[in-house]
Order: sequence, then structure tokens, then C-alpha cells
Amino acid sequence: MGTKKFLTGLGATATAVKMADVDVITSFPIRPYTGVMMILSQMVANGELDAEFIHADGEHAQLSISHGASAAGARTFTGSSGVGVTYAFETYSPISGGRCPVQMLIADRTLDPPGDFGSEHTDALGCRDQGWIMGWAETPQEVFDNTLIYYRVGEDPRVRLPQFNCHDGYFVSHIPGDVEIPEQSQVDEFLPPYRPVDPLDPQNPLGHGPQIFPDQGPALEAMRHNAMMAAMPVIEEAIDDFGRIFGRKYAPFVEEFMTDDAELVFFINGAHAHTARYAIKHLRERGIKVGLVKIRFIRPWPTDVLQESLSRFKAVGVVETNSSFGIARGGGILAPEVCGSLYDVPQRPLIASFMGGLGGEPITLKEFDFIAEKLKKIAESGKIEKPVYWLGFEE
Amino acid sequence: MGKVQEITVWASGVVQDKEARDVAQCLAAAAAKEGKFIQAFDNYVDLPDRVNVPVRKYARISDSEIEEKYLYENHNPEIVILVEPTLVKGVDVLQGMKGDGCLILNTGRSPEEILKFIPDKTPLKKIACVDAMKICPKAVIDFSGSEGAVEAAGVGVGIGAVLAGAAAKVSGCVTIDSLMSEVGNPEAAKRGFDEVTIKEL
Repeated sequence: MGTKKFLTGLGATATAVKMADVDVITSFPIRPYTGVMMILSQMVANGELDAEFIHADGEHAQLSISHGASAAGARTFTGSSGVGVTYAFETYSPISGGRCPVQMLIADRTLDPPGDFGSEHTDALGCRDQGWIMGWAETPQEVFDNTLIYYRVGEDPRVRLPQFNCHDGYFVSHIPGDVEIPEQSQVDEFLPPYRPVDPLDPQNPLGHGPQIFPDQGPALEAMRHNAMMAAMPVIEEAIDDFGRIFGRKYAPFVEEFMTDDAELVFFINGAHAHTARYAIKHLRERGIKVGLVKIRFIRPWPTDVLQESLSRFKAVGVVETNSSFGIARGGGILAPEVCGSLYDVPQRPLIASFMGGLGGEPITLKEFDFIAEKLKKIAESGKIEKPVYWLGFEE
Repeated sequence: MGKVQEITVWASGVVQDKEARDVAQCLAAAAAKEGKFIQAFDNYVDLPDRVNVPVRKYARISDSEIEEKYLYENHNPEIVILVEPTLVKGVDVLQGMKGDGCLILNTGRSPEEILKFIPDKTPLKKIACVDAMKICPKAVIDFSGSEGAVEAAGVGVGIGAVLAGAAAKVSGCVTIDSLMSEVGNPEAAKRGFDEVTIKEL
């Protein structure tokens, strides 16, 4: 039997990384993710974890080292936050294009300006098109579990893609919660050693990421697209196996709460789903039929699952803890993807987005009440009065 | 939503960082042992801390699940503990306290003497002093538990245990038995519980 520990998201990540027996860790400090490297470096120093720990001179180098290590066949872990994530931006496409299953923790932090440690998802979401698997965890337990699940999916020979393992800075990274730590034998059963398909090896020379002619481009891009699409069934398999081995059953892509008879739903990713659940309980006491749809993977985006899920409701409120200035509909990054997913469905809900939690401000129970009220009005009138609301700025 | 009892611990940055965190963590762990719902975390905005700059650590205890758990501060602390007693002179440590509050200081001075430094005593029900360094002359300076990382030097082995014991006596937020089972130095916690000087207001 495993043990129960009271850990932050960073503590949970480090424990999972250790149990995944990673070979190479690359670090560069930036709040709030730094703690994970404090723990891992101590584990390496104590001899608890046999891994190369390389401290880089910046995030670009940090990710470049991870790229090389992974290309040579090492299970590799790295991480960053906020502007650290964006500083390494150039490296993300070469890593996924080289089909190197590096795992990177992103503990979200608001991008500058001004300097702000609070969690906003724009740092990670800004990298959503780089061919990395990406999703959010809500609790330290989910962080622990996702760390193992992401390695398993990313290293699967049918996928071979790097992964952004994201959670909210401070809310999840720094506030501890109960985490069940499994037996090492369970982790070993779930996550076999990484077997690279074509590692860089002096005994068997080959090249990765060469310069190509334009006519070779489409095929390479199609391969990366196919790999991302192939991740869908692999994620489902991994989640099934995870439930069998560890006894915790996740919905692979979309977790629903109180949706059976719901007419309105909050659509959300990450930490604020916690507060949303309590808001829903209180709203239901007042007779408002509201539920929650929490998305666990942003890449690959589960279009089919969302079509089936969201078409059952009258109105969907997309909670956006990110910003994309000038995007379609003028709000955050998720709502246009939700709208795009539902365009082909004859029975579509009405969709509005709610900009909240920006700069890392907590989204309060009252703000969820506001969202529900607006959704109720939208459902009753059968039309949206406007596509985007800014929480705290509206009547 | 049930009431959340808020505990705020003040200390000097870096040098008392760990002991202050230990007070919050030990009280929260003891409450968890009693079946309560708890949180314990550092003030995120104080960090990264600097030597002797005031820093805050928080514990939150509730009979029911904590619904809004992503707050950055304890806005209405009922129990305030000063690992660094001189902060009482320069910082409004009772800010947000709504009445029936407890203030506990790590000092050899008497509660009466300390009261002179508190301009508005209305939110206070009790003030208490305990000379933690005399009881357990060990203040651990360690950074492993900061920034959401994992504590490596043992929790509640130094003066933090004494102050947590004193807080248990003064406020009754946890029993001394459950506290003693959660600290590295139970004897220090017990002496803090037994030797704290309390003045009711």
C-alpha cells in the first residue's frame, strides 16, 4: 500500500519525477516553479535519485539541453514559469519536431509587464501550437498523477511527443494538499522504461532535425499532426490503466460535475474548478441548474468529446484565465476553440466567455454566481448580449 | 460555507522563516489529526524573503471543507503569533482581527509590558508571552521548505514547537495531545503549553 503525504503541487511533481526514475533534469530558477528543482537537486545530492542534474544559464539553454538529452534516449524533466516559458519559445518546435518526449512542468505565472507572481495561463497557452501535449491539473494529487500519465503518453511509440504538464502557480504549486504516493512497483507497472525509437548514438550514427527542402515540409508537419491525433486513444488507454493500477479513475479529457440535469455549465481548466464546484452546490440550492465541465487536455483538443458533452446544455460559460488581445470574439484563447468545436453540431449551446483570475487574482464564489446569472439570462432569452464579460468590471 | 479559523504567524525573513512555517504547519497538522479541514502555506507575496524583512505564514482550520482556498492572505486572523516580538512595535499585526482574538509573542517580557506597544487593544481577548528560546534554545535556519518545496530538516523541532504549544493553550484551536503527535519535539510543545503567561483582556 502507498502512503499519504501533505504536499504542494511542486512536492507532488518532484515525487512523481523521482518515481518515474528520470535520467536528466535541467533547471533554471524562476518563481513559482523553482521549488520543484530545489527538491529534485536535494534528491540527487542525497543519492535518492540517480539522475544528471544540469543547471543551465537560462531557459533557452535549459530546454536545449533537455532536447539533446531526450534525443540521446534519456527520460528528461524540466520546467519553468511565466517569462521563463516564453524565453525558451524557439526550442519547443524543434523538440516536438524531433519527436523527443521531454516533460516540462509549467507552474503558471503572469507574463510581464508588470512583474507579477500570480497565476495566469497565457504563458503556457501561448505555446499551444508547438506540438506539445498540454493539460492542467487542479490539485497536487492530479499533478502527481498527470506527471506519470504524461510520460507514459508522450513516450508511447505511437505518439513520441513532448508534454507541457501545467498547473496554476501558487494555487496549486505552493498550497499543499493530500497526495497519495503509490508503491514504486505500481509506478513501474504503469510506466515502463523509456525505449527511444531512434536515439542519437555514436555506435549507430543518424541525424535529427536536418535542414530540408520546402517540398519535404508538408509530410513532416503531417506526421507531427498525426502523432498528436494518435495521442487521443493512447491517453484513453493510459487513463484506463492508471485507474486499474492506482485506483483513481479520471475522465480522460473532460471531467463533468453535476451535469446530469444541468442547463448551464462553467467550462474551465485548472485550479479554479475547485471554487466552481462549491459555487455550483450553492447555486443549486437556489434552484439554478448549473454544472461544471473541466477540460483536462488542451492539446490534443478533444473536439469529439466536447461536441457530445457541450451540446447537451443551453448555455456554456467559458472561464478564461488567459488573454489573447484581438482574438476572435475578443476574449481569451479557449472560447474560440470551444466555438470551433461546436460549429458542426446542429444542436449548439450559446457560448459566452468570462475573463477572470487574470494576474493571479482568485476567482471568488461571488464571481461564479455572476457567471451563472449571465448564463441564466442567456439561456432564457435564447441569445447572447455580448460574447465576452470581464469579471469585476461589469454590472 | 463554514467558518474558517485563521492563524497568522509573523517572523523575520530568512532567519526565522522555517520556525514560523513550522508553527503554522504543526497547528494545521494537529487540526487535521482531529478531523478538521486545513490549509497551511507561506504568504506568496512576501517571498522570496530577504533577511529580517517581515514575513507571514498562515494556517486555516475549518469544520467543513474550505471552499475558497486560493486566498493570498488571512484577512481576519483570530490568532496571531509573533516569532519576532519586536514586530509588535512597527507593524499592525492585529489588522483584520475582528474581536475575541489572541496574540502570542515569543518574548521573556510580560503581557503587560507588551500591551504598551499596542495602540488599539479592542480586537484582543487574550495576550500571551512565552520565552521560546529559553525553553528550547534551538532556532533552525533552513530553506528546504520554502517556495513550496519539501521540508528536509524536520518539522517542529525548535522554537516553533514551543510557540505552537503556547497557541494551543491560549486559543484552544487544537488539543495539546494532537499537537504533540505532530511535532518533532513534543516536550518543547508541552512546555510551551504549560509555561505560557496569559493575560485576559
